[in-house]
Amino acid sequence: MMTVKSDIFRIGRPVPRVDALSKVTGQEKYAADYYSPNFVWAGVKRAGVPHARLKSIAVEAARKLPGVLSVLTHKDVPGSNRQGIIFKDQPVLVDTKIRHCGDAIALVLAEDKPTLNKALHLINFDYEPLPAIFDPVKALEERAPLVHEDNPDGNLLQHISVKVGDVKEAFLECTTIIEGSFEVPFQEHAYLETEAGWAYLAEDGRLVIVASTQTPFRDRFEIASALGLNIDKIRVIAPYLGGAFGGKDGLTVQSLLGLAALNSQGRPVKMWWDREESFLAGVKRLPARMYYRLGAKADGTLHALDCRLYFDTGPYAHLSSEIMALAMEHAGGPYRIPHTSIKGWCAYTNNPPGGPFRGFGVPQVTAAMEQMIDMLAAKLKMDPLEIRRQNVVRQGDRNCVGVTLVNSTGALDCLETLAAHPFWQERKKWKESAGPFKRRGVGLACMAHGSGYGPVIPDEANAKIELTDEGKMRIFCGVSDMGQGNASTCLQIAGDILGQDADSMELILPDTDRSLPSGSASASRCTYTYGNALIRAAQAFKQRLFERASTLLMIPTSDDLSPIPGGIRHLPSGKEISLSQLAQLMDPPERTCTHYYRAPVAQEKLELYSSSKVFGLPHILFSYAAHLTYLEVDELTGEIEIKTYLSVSDCGRVINPQIYEQQIQGGIAQGLGYALSEDFIVKEGKGLTSNLSTYIIPTTLDVPEMVSIPVEIDEPTGPFGLKGIGEISINGPLPAVANALADACGIRVSRSPFTPERVLGAMKEKALHEVKP
Amino acid sequence: MKISFTLNGKANQIDVPSDRRVIDILREDLNLTGTKEGCSGGECGACTILVDGESRLACLMLAAQLEGRSVTTIEGIASEDRLHPLQEAFVEHGAVQCGFCIPGMVLSAVDLLQRNPNPTRMEIRQGLSGNLCRCTGYQKIVDAVKAAALKMK
Amino acid sequence: MRKVFLPHTPEELWEVLRAEPQAAVYAGGTDLLVKLRQCLVDPSCLVCLERIEELKGVQEFGHEVFIGACSTHAYLLANPIIRSNFPVLTRALELLGSPPIRNMGTIGGNICTASPAADSLPPLYVLEAEVEIRSKNTSRRMALKEFIQGPGKTSLQPGEIVSGIWVKKTPGYNLHHFEKVGQRKALAISIASLAGLLRASEKGVIEEARFAWGSVGPTIITSPEVEKALVGNRLSRPILEKAACLARSAVDPIDDIRASGEYRRLVSGNLMVRLLTLQREVCH
Repeated sequence: MMTVKSDIFRIGRPVPRVDALSKVTGQEKYAADYYSPNFVWAGVKRAGVPHARLKSIAVEAARKLPGVLSVLTHKDVPGSNRQGIIFKDQPVLVDTKIRHCGDAIALVLAEDKPTLNKALHLINFDYEPLPAIFDPVKALEERAPLVHEDNPDGNLLQHISVKVGDVKEAFLECTTIIEGSFEVPFQEHAYLETEAGWAYLAEDGRLVIVASTQTPFRDRFEIASALGLNIDKIRVIAPYLGGAFGGKDGLTVQSLLGLAALNSQGRPVKMWWDREESFLAGVKRLPARMYYRLGAKADGTLHALDCRLYFDTGPYAHLSSEIMALAMEHAGGPYRIPHTSIKGWCAYTNNPPGGPFRGFGVPQVTAAMEQMIDMLAAKLKMDPLEIRRQNVVRQGDRNCVGVTLVNSTGALDCLETLAAHPFWQERKKWKESAGPFKRRGVGLACMAHGSGYGPVIPDEANAKIELTDEGKMRIFCGVSDMGQGNASTCLQIAGDILGQDADSMELILPDTDRSLPSGSASASRCTYTYGNALIRAAQAFKQRLFERASTLLMIPTSDDLSPIPGGIRHLPSGKEISLSQLAQLMDPPERTCTHYYRAPVAQEKLELYSSSKVFGLPHILFSYAAHLTYLEVDELTGEIEIKTYLSVSDCGRVINPQIYEQQIQGGIAQGLGYALSEDFIVKEGKGLTSNLSTYIIPTTLDVPEMVSIPVEIDEPTGPFGLKGIGEISINGPLPAVANALADACGIRVSRSPFTPERVLGAMKEKALHEVKP
Repeated sequence: MKISFTLNGKANQIDVPSDRRVIDILREDLNLTGTKEGCSGGECGACTILVDGESRLACLMLAAQLEGRSVTTIEGIASEDRLHPLQEAFVEHGAVQCGFCIPGMVLSAVDLLQRNPNPTRMEIRQGLSGNLCRCTGYQKIVDAVKAAALKMK
Repeated sequence: MRKVFLPHTPEELWEVLRAEPQAAVYAGGTDLLVKLRQCLVDPSCLVCLERIEELKGVQEFGHEVFIGACSTHAYLLANPIIRSNFPVLTRALELLGSPPIRNMGTIGGNICTASPAADSLPPLYVLEAEVEIRSKNTSRRMALKEFIQGPGKTSLQPGEIVSGIWVKKTPGYNLHHFEKVGQRKALAISIASLAGLLRASEKGVIEEARFAWGSVGPTIITSPEVEKALVGNRLSRPILEKAACLARSAVDPIDDIRASGEYRRLVSGNLMVRLLTLQREVCH
């Protein structure tokens, strides 16, 4: 069938994103951009102490302040006063116990910001300090202070142990064994738009919340139970987010806003955390301590892996058990290892709260494993690319937790593409031309990233398309667009199938009243899962529209019909009908098409033991990548400069090359920050790096020119052959940089980030050891 | 305090406390939410505006300082019927992801190209070094500014 | 709410300062407004100097140059007199803050904030700058290194402002050096910095040297011992290592959120070794 397709929305073309225009003109309204003539500010009094029993809260002085509408405490929370994604363990407003410095004590509603701030200062609370725990390993000891006294496992949130084969025996068969320990810190999302939202009670009494959120549908459940509301009474709208990266997966402002709107005398309420509050109260990447033991045969074949991983979830469970599970599944990297024992412990502490951050546990373990591979290569005197090539998984192999890789597995293709690249080929020449006081090194990393939620929580989406009376194709995006461009990709997918262009299409961002539940914007599943639902919906819709059109055009079959922008044409006769005409002649119910899709899950049973139910592994679909970095280190200051960065990724077919590069480049930049400068310093539960002046994220001068090459292996289960791309690239930079540093000057720094101070310290220590006889 | 200044080419008069931050005046009093706030302390550049043609941070500027000045926000750089070449280039080259840093980034780029109409990629990076972006890794932003500079010659 | 005064002339300024002795004075606001938001200061009102033209600009007076205190860093970076006469200062200003911060921040503000990490200070110290201090009825000059008394402390009295900086040209000096170590390449508070001005003979022998270190003491550090160690010698590795040791004894760094004192001390010396790269410039 001949199709006359619009030039614009073709799969595979670098179509400029549809949201770029409104953003570049400042017209696009984020959740932080809502104001109205009579709105009220809402703000939170936070604990400031890491562990205490709350005795009383003195709010009178604040209440009396002119311009303050109300000051609310736990007494004013109508529901359970508990929120959380899997475990509802976090109070909206603290009632009995403070578990971290950012815990919310009271909620103030005020006419303006200065009054709000004054009122917050006037609130005092009486508390009994409790001994606190700040170390996730010590937290598991007998006498450690308990963060949740009612937890039967003490401070243990989750312990998982997975094994394949017999690792004890296997180590005896290894000729070379390497051990390593690695420590990675908190990482702060530092999205430019901090947590923000707007709420009001509609005329029908329903609570409407506009929030910068990755999870509008799930939010309703959390808000409903926390505030004792009926879920039908809650509407959540998710405009474009000003960045999220996992930090807005779950409730941030939503329940507080809901509570405020119930008490604002009918006036809309605005909450917008300033940067310090975002640092104090927002979740962070879980810090981890990782102990590895890796054994190989003489020829470099990996044979045994034993690792113990300790994660710090802070005061609440959030999604930390799932983060640890995903980490464990990737602990052995993208390699064939016949015998493994992988153990993870996730502990509660009174540190800042842990939660999702792009990569979701995989950056942590990749940091460890990829260094172990290089260390092993060095011991075996093997080339680091060669040892990876030899051991990397292929389709049909099992990963380190014993799951068979049934879907596309392009790790080897990534390595081979990298090996052929001039950057790899010319690395020696580059290294040899370092200037005075500079040393140069190159570093590799090879990685996998599993997408989706694992076998328990359904990874599902409901796509919805509507032909409006004006004849526009209205696409209801079900998954929040936090900057990754999935809303735009929806239009591209639907536009390609329906043969329409930008003028004849409309986009509705997630709105629980209008779009259909489609899961979170997370887990690299947004385009895969929603895209698969959308393709099915678009194909079904096209079929239906063609059938109606053939009736209306009085032609016997729909075979020779073709979509054209704004209409449908019968090619042999030239007869056509516009979409608006078609819309007029269709009943409204016919003009909407929905389709459900649920992503496949792994069926295999693992040899797994856990202290409580595991949601987060195994996965069945993995993206792969190989990274190479050129690094230069200054011998006098320890400063590292990344000169070049190459990433080769297998994320299936590329729907939009521009968006593809956007994701890869952005992930690399965040990974480089994680590697080099983002030291989130916590002392006794208090974040000492409390805003962007002391928490150092990369500027334009800190990120190099990056080359991103896709290896396009078709993934048959993916929409147009695609796999997830959102997270994979953040896994590579830390180990690639670590390996390049080792290549440049023979040092490894076990605790990241690799700040100039740590690097210089390691160089100095190495020099001392070399001097000693 | 009554303050008179030019905003996006039009004369404007406001009556606000003299210590009200310019960013609050723009966003809350004048309904121009294109200028964003990211850190309130001069560290991120999201609030970059042009004052008498030079980039400044609206979070670190007080109402009194507006008197007699000509202020340009992101809402004011397109002409009646066309985007500014920088805006076009940002769209075309994929420089916009979440977009929250973009208004400030574009205005810093306007300032840069005024001072240096033919910058190298490194000079572009230096010119935009006060604008943090968490999404893009900056590369496509540099591509866009380079392309716009060529078009604007 | 605090009133903000915007005097247009020195006369208007003196009048405000007389009426409001508890006023906080600022020019660009990049330091004061941040402190205000963090409630680290609580002045009765604010006085902004940005409209007083007399306080801006660069003027040459023979072998001296006068820099108006309210000259922004961006203005100075574009000024041919500054660029050609004071490469050390130019280099430091290029690395200060970020472009919009440089459009707003002033050299007078950088001096009066008197942070030990201020980027303009090490160059101004090696240039042996003097501040000009004015009040309604007085005007005096004072060595910058005496004017700054400690972290955040200057000898400004109530009713006084720094009106400008006098800097002598340095025609004899042929080696100009500035290096800043930070946590990233822009928007970075200095962890350690070194400004150096040297005169080397045709054969590369150092005849005169001036150094100043930033961020490694309560105020800018200078060291006659280090300078003496170089004079009469070529810039060789052994000489610079010796100077580095002396530098490490001269500095007095603390631990803070950005770096430890130990690192700062180590690097203060290492920055001297960097001068080896200047050797190329003097060898004929």
